[in-house]
Amino acid sequence: MKKYIMLSVVTAFLFSCNGNMDVANNNAGTDNTVKKSVTKNNNASAAESIFIVSDTFQTQNKKEIILSSLSGKPTVVGMIFTNCSYACPKITAQMKNIAGKLKADGKDANFVLVSFDTKRDNAGQLKMFANMMNIDDSWMLLHGSEQAVRTLSVLLNVQFEKDAEGNFSHSNIISVLDKNGVLAFQKEGLEADQKETVNRIEELIN
Amino acid sequence: MLQISRKNFYLKSPVLFAILLISSTLFFFSCKTNSGNSTAENNIDTVLTGTVNAELTFAPNVPKPLTYTSPKKVIVQLETIEKVMPISDSSEYTFWTFGGHVPGNFIRVRQGDLVDFTLKNAPESKMTHSIDLHAVIGPGGGADATSTAPGQSTHFQFRALHPGLYVYHCATAPVPMHIANGMYGLIYVQPKEALPKVDREYYIMQSEFYTKGNFGLKGLQEFDEQKGINEQPNYVVFNGSVNANAGKNALPANVNETVRLFVGNGGPNLVSSFHVIGEIFDKVYLEGGEMVNRNFGTTLIPSGGAAIVEMKMDIPGVYNIVDHSIFRTFNKGCLAQIKVKGGRDTLIFRKN
Amino acid sequence: MKVVFAILFFISCLSCESQSKINIAAEKKMVKVKGGKFKTFYVSKTDKPLLVEPFLMDECAVTNKEFLEFVKANPAWSKSKVKRLFADSNYLKHWKSDFEIGESNKNIYNSPVVNVSWFAAIAYCSWKNKRLPNLAEWEIAGNAPPQNIQYTSITDYIMKWYEKPSLPVLPNVKTTYCNTYGLYDMHGLIWEWTFDFNSFISTGDSRNTSNNDNNLFCAGASINVTNREDYAAFLRYGFRGSLRGNYCISSLGFRCVKDLPSNKL
Repeated sequence: MKKYIMLSVVTAFLFSCNGNMDVANNNAGTDNTVKKSVTKNNNASAAESIFIVSDTFQTQNKKEIILSSLSGKPTVVGMIFTNCSYACPKITAQMKNIAGKLKADGKDANFVLVSFDTKRDNAGQLKMFANMMNIDDSWMLLHGSEQAVRTLSVLLNVQFEKDAEGNFSHSNIISVLDKNGVLAFQKEGLEADQKETVNRIEELIN
Repeated sequence: MLQISRKNFYLKSPVLFAILLISSTLFFFSCKTNSGNSTAENNIDTVLTGTVNAELTFAPNVPKPLTYTSPKKVIVQLETIEKVMPISDSSEYTFWTFGGHVPGNFIRVRQGDLVDFTLKNAPESKMTHSIDLHAVIGPGGGADATSTAPGQSTHFQFRALHPGLYVYHCATAPVPMHIANGMYGLIYVQPKEALPKVDREYYIMQSEFYTKGNFGLKGLQEFDEQKGINEQPNYVVFNGSVNANAGKNALPANVNETVRLFVGNGGPNLVSSFHVIGEIFDKVYLEGGEMVNRNFGTTLIPSGGAAIVEMKMDIPGVYNIVDHSIFRTFNKGCLAQIKVKGGRDTLIFRKN
Repeated sequence: MKVVFAILFFISCLSCESQSKINIAAEKKMVKVKGGKFKTFYVSKTDKPLLVEPFLMDECAVTNKEFLEFVKANPAWSKSKVKRLFADSNYLKHWKSDFEIGESNKNIYNSPVVNVSWFAAIAYCSWKNKRLPNLAEWEIAGNAPPQNIQYTSITDYIMKWYEKPSLPVLPNVKTTYCNTYGLYDMHGLIWEWTFDFNSFISTGDSRNTSNNDNNLFCAGASINVTNREDYAAFLRYGFRGSLRGNYCISSLGFRCVKDLPSNKL
């Protein structure tokens, strides 16, 4: 008799748990997505091209250019300096990754790295960096005056400062300009997944 | 006899015993999540059934209870304003505010809503301001997205997944100063099953002010950073100034009405021993959460925290709302009042 | 001894007085600011102080009258023509029109020009063969104590200004205080643009590269600073951190600096 009572009690327990288990599973699922629930809308300061800035820059091959020469194709811009041990090679690697994915899809864009280090990163130094990172001349590595570089950083909302040893603390942002030079998209973070960046660039090409 | 049969039972029915053990474990775990977490309001992919503009109110008023029953997009816009206002009958203070009042607007949304939040900073402001809503799960509670220079505005969205009463405040450095100058308010995320209807709902927020001059000194008072660091305020008030809701500004109610108070503590430093003299809280939703306690005399409200209290006003008269760290009430202004009108119930209280 | 101090005090007041009588329309007076070691408020990874070279600084902020000369000579910077990329819709909103401050605004001809963006300030300084001060230069110049007013501490003085709401009409330049360099109104009148206002505020490990702002909020901001009781500095750096280059704000103007001839590289 006792056995039968125990069995029916146990069965009753099992039935009551069944429905609740699903709820537990559901909650586990939604808790993971809760953290993504804050999205930030950057203030669009202006839908105007940054190519109206007429500052000249010098490439790693000592060629003088102005930014408007980049028009016609979307441009992917990273701001770095060559003495940077960790973050800048990573940004460069991410941009190479993007370039590789675009190439695989048969698409093309400008790739530009601009150096914060106006004192040390002259054309020769930039060329050495390019060689070290296996970057060919389809990319442009730019040296500019302090004012030109600071102006570009302000336009791209990239923060940076020089410390007492001549090195730079800076935010890590990859920016995408459309073919007319209007800032279209930015991705921050060294570990960021660049899939969305690639998609946005491809949208701009079409 | 019984002992032997029990031993036999365990030995001979290990399967039954195992089933019992497993099912009781499952039962306890499933019961933990049995507190009404249904899917629509907790799921950020739920389709929203329309857009509404949030009704925003200033203390002591609370927006009307929300009656819609499925998640919506709710538009909220707050503006930060720096303004000189009275802090007592004789003193003034340069307040930094949400909406031009201390405390700031009361925001009422419903569990599951997508809140579309815009923060504006008045062009005449001198300071940059931002907002951290304790109801938000995300970087800085929104502070990261809303660092707003004077004359500018910022925008972000969040899903209000957790019900409850939460403080919001400015989170720009130095945060203690922004809070000490009045930048806080309450956001209520109404649970998907709303609280029972009551006759009156009021918004009360306790906070402190640290001034160079003593309490009540005439004229414009200045913020005293050292007193803030020492946690020695000159003013401890409800709703932004001495007697903001006392005397002729007392909160009205009628006999036999149930009054619900949404109480926040903006701090920046002190914990409140919240008490209504002559009343007992029928219900206290501890810290605004789901745990309800009953028949409470005094409830603790942490700095940056909140509580919901309910009481039935059985007897007419004036009821003093205090912080029972009583020097604050007596010497620093921490007093609000509820004035209850109506017939006398002599069975509960009779004066000879 | 007291007599010596009284005389010195009197002389310094006089020197500030006489400076204020200089015709502002003439070439703006610049004063020399001694350089020195500067420790950034938000401590950087290296912890070494920056070395700031001596430089020349405008004795007071650029005025509406001075800025009008610039706009007349450079009409691309008039409020109807300026690009939104370079200045938002609040640009020079307090002026009557493109090339007029306005008769009714006579009282602000000599007050600091505000509602100007960083780009506009850079353009003005370049036009004058000068430049904007960088943050370290501005802070060193601004830390010098007042020499012609009563005050308890410079931080106290600064906090008093920060706390008051903005005035609807800004007073003239050179009406707050003069500091030991001979610089007027470094605090107490307006916020001022710096060349590198978009300095990076490090939160430590460069590997943590999500938006650096989020560690500055709530308690996080107090972690990496030289003096966590300097609320005035928190407010000032916080203000700078919220700016974008094209923002035009009614309490934000600028002044220019110039390298000393021997410092030019």
